[in-house]
Amino acid sequence: MGSSLIIGMAGAGGDGIVSAGESLITAIALDGYHGIMTKSFGSQIRGGESSCRLRISPRPVLHPGGTLDVAVALNWEDFLRFGAELTVGGHTVVIYESKTGVAPDQIPLAGVRPAEAVPVPITDMAKEFAGTDRAKNTVVLGLLVGWFGIARESLLAGIRKKFAKKGTDLVASNERAFSGGIEYAAAHPLRSDLRIDPPEPGASAKLLTDGNDMCGAAALFAGCEFMSGYPITPSTEIMQFLSREMWRYGGTVLQAEDEIAGIGAVVGASFAGKKAMTATSGPGMSLKTEILGLATIAELPLVCVNVQRGGPSTGIPTKSEQADLFQAAFSAHGDVVRPVLAPVSVADTFGVTVEAFNIAEEFQTPVIVLSDQEIAQRKETVDPIDTSRFHLVERRRPSEVELESYVRFRITESGISPISHPGMPLGNYLASGIEHNEKGAPTASGEVHSRMNEKRLRKIEPLKRRRDLFVREGDAAAPFALVSWGSVAGVAREALDIAGREGLRLKLLVPKLLYPVAEEVYRDFFASVRRGFVVEQSHQGQLYRVLRMFLEVPRGIEPFCKSGSNPITPAEIVEKVRGVALALQRERGQHLQPQE
Amino acid sequence: MSSVPRPLEEYKAADYKSDLKPIWCPGCGDFGVVQAIYRALSAVGRPPHEIAFVSGIGCSSRIPGYTTAYGFNSVHGRALPIAQGIKLANPGLLVLVAGGDGDGFSIGGGHVAHAIRRNVDLTYIVMDNQIYGLTKGQLSPTSARGARTVTSGFGSMEDPVNPLLYVLGYGAGFVAQGTPADMGALAAVIEEGIRFPGFAFINIQSPCVTYGEAHQQLKAHKTDMRSLASMQHDPADLMKAMDLAREYGRSLYTGVFYRNPQPGPTFESEARHRHETLRSSALPKEKILDLFLPH
Repeated sequence: MGSSLIIGMAGAGGDGIVSAGESLITAIALDGYHGIMTKSFGSQIRGGESSCRLRISPRPVLHPGGTLDVAVALNWEDFLRFGAELTVGGHTVVIYESKTGVAPDQIPLAGVRPAEAVPVPITDMAKEFAGTDRAKNTVVLGLLVGWFGIARESLLAGIRKKFAKKGTDLVASNERAFSGGIEYAAAHPLRSDLRIDPPEPGASAKLLTDGNDMCGAAALFAGCEFMSGYPITPSTEIMQFLSREMWRYGGTVLQAEDEIAGIGAVVGASFAGKKAMTATSGPGMSLKTEILGLATIAELPLVCVNVQRGGPSTGIPTKSEQADLFQAAFSAHGDVVRPVLAPVSVADTFGVTVEAFNIAEEFQTPVIVLSDQEIAQRKETVDPIDTSRFHLVERRRPSEVELESYVRFRITESGISPISHPGMPLGNYLASGIEHNEKGAPTASGEVHSRMNEKRLRKIEPLKRRRDLFVREGDAAAPFALVSWGSVAGVAREALDIAGREGLRLKLLVPKLLYPVAEEVYRDFFASVRRGFVVEQSHQGQLYRVLRMFLEVPRGIEPFCKSGSNPITPAEIVEKVRGVALALQRERGQHLQPQE
Repeated sequence: MSSVPRPLEEYKAADYKSDLKPIWCPGCGDFGVVQAIYRALSAVGRPPHEIAFVSGIGCSSRIPGYTTAYGFNSVHGRALPIAQGIKLANPGLLVLVAGGDGDGFSIGGGHVAHAIRRNVDLTYIVMDNQIYGLTKGQLSPTSARGARTVTSGFGSMEDPVNPLLYVLGYGAGFVAQGTPADMGALAAVIEEGIRFPGFAFINIQSPCVTYGEAHQQLKAHKTDMRSLASMQHDPADLMKAMDLAREYGRSLYTGVFYRNPQPGPTFESEARHRHETLRSSALPKEKILDLFLPH
């Protein structure tokens, strides 16, 4: 049995392929499997061809996986439109609509010979069992259950629930279509065995969500009471989620007239004493830049989420990229250090978002969360999270004694000055984008400017010692290292496992704090390292270059990067590692024996 | 810059004046405006710490610093979004917004319509001097066609915007104009704007003493201005208000152009209603992830 099953499906708009995928991932989450589902749509906004891919495993899965184990094509034209998402290889079982009239040895996949190609009369079965070809997706679910033995009962319960609202006839007809699919599979066994292990005994139901909704939930948990943003792909779901949920907690969501107004309102809400956030993607980040600078100099906490997509400009709005790190770290005029964090998965988006609010509040600074389209929009099973593990930080308020002679921007040892807000008696002050003295009065004095710059930069320093914002895995003394961040870190993590099984000595560092650069953490990590790669989804390798700005990166560390929308797979990382490891072996005259 | 809270009736105009010395040129119209604001605030009587005063960038945008309110001298053109964030985060505050004609009708022009259609209870004071004074005399969005400035040496080839007509068109519930040439009337319209339950707009002809022309100065205002009250204008008459507003740039009318006799709900009152309706349906925060239980 395999450790995971990767299923990809494509059909025309209305075939309900994505809906089938959602039913399936819901069912496996209930059964306690781990899974990730991604969706992809054709060029039309609505109504065109659509596809989805699911990876299902009894063990944690870290990324959506590469080549499909199972491909389902309701028609070839639509399937082939998703060539990049739905790659078929030598081990793939291809299930396709027999009405396409294509012989199994003639399937239109250039240069690929899949393990088997199985034509199935899907449409005819839908008509026979349900009386309508609209039940094709239910037939497909039956086939998958029949052949791969996953989530039979939970899927049936889900089908009953889904169609209950639409009447008993539809429930019955879909049940027949589902059973029909299962029976067809039983009568036509596959040659390949792609069954996966069942979930561990007693595995509880998982949570199921995507990174954007998780970000919204984390914001509410962190105490965020104000959100304002402007719709932009692929971050819009954060505002959509909060526009449903935040009102229940007394908070307010304002869909702003533009990106600038969105972050402007957030600065205002923060000035008024509330935890506040905005969310956007690359073009919106460009527009928000001036007000991010205002929040830095006025020392106002806020969280700004950038769900990265392909850039520059409009770029590729629906595909993931990690090319906004330079922008996040450096898009400010003046001497600014603005913390930048990045989650590595849907689950991790919870903790990273909570942490972003904590850092913003503690250090009175804007914090950028660099999510990416991959994490933001994929559905992922999440193990239950014990929210009591997370402590929440509130901004430091002035005490009664401090209010007697209140000085808003007082230069303290930590650089953090107690902050009042309108409505607080005796706390009145002038917040400003213009340079100001400790009392908040505008100034053009170079001497005051230096002192205030020093204060604003000094207060951020302790963040660099937050080793808990880094994950280190693998052999701590290994001469070979990977560094990776964001969604790609999951791919690197899987590469680490594969390489480990091959006996390669390797370690991995995943920073969730990208900026400021925690020099000590990297120095310690690189101490044993001779060769390695910084793996990331950008053309230039932006983290690699940022690290080189601040540290002596070992010469043997190279960027391994690709522009967005080009998947990075564990296999190709391992291949790179293997190649360099051999070179390293030759250099050292050592033998890297596979582990027993 | 702090203030000790006191009973309502005890706030005098001087209690709203800060220790900061204005940097305006001697004779600037904005001196009169800030005095009128002190007077209006003392008439309303809210303690300074319950007032948030937001501005953008420009000579006039220095004004929050000259008051004892919580001030926010922000970035160019963005005072209105920031002020809305403050008011929605804490609707109990009195929120004033101030800026110049460039701040409000050029770089920040896109925000005005939206602040108005949301009807957030703000009082927006524009000190309109038809010039960019802080950057030393460039063309402004309200400069007259033909105006000769350092960026229009041969005369402006553009028509000015008409702030009064814009905001009336956007649906503002309260629209007024004043000049420091009549301090009593100016303080009175600011007070009325603050008391109006919804978005209020007050355009103040506040002359630039350095780059303005003679006919734009306070001396000229004293002879040119005409109060709308003296013309028997009915502020409930929107069409008449628009008709009078078309005279912007030709006639200096002062007082209230339009006051909606039946002001609509404010954004924050709608928000309060929504909070009350939905509060009982909130999961405890520590269980918020139960939202993601598969079903």
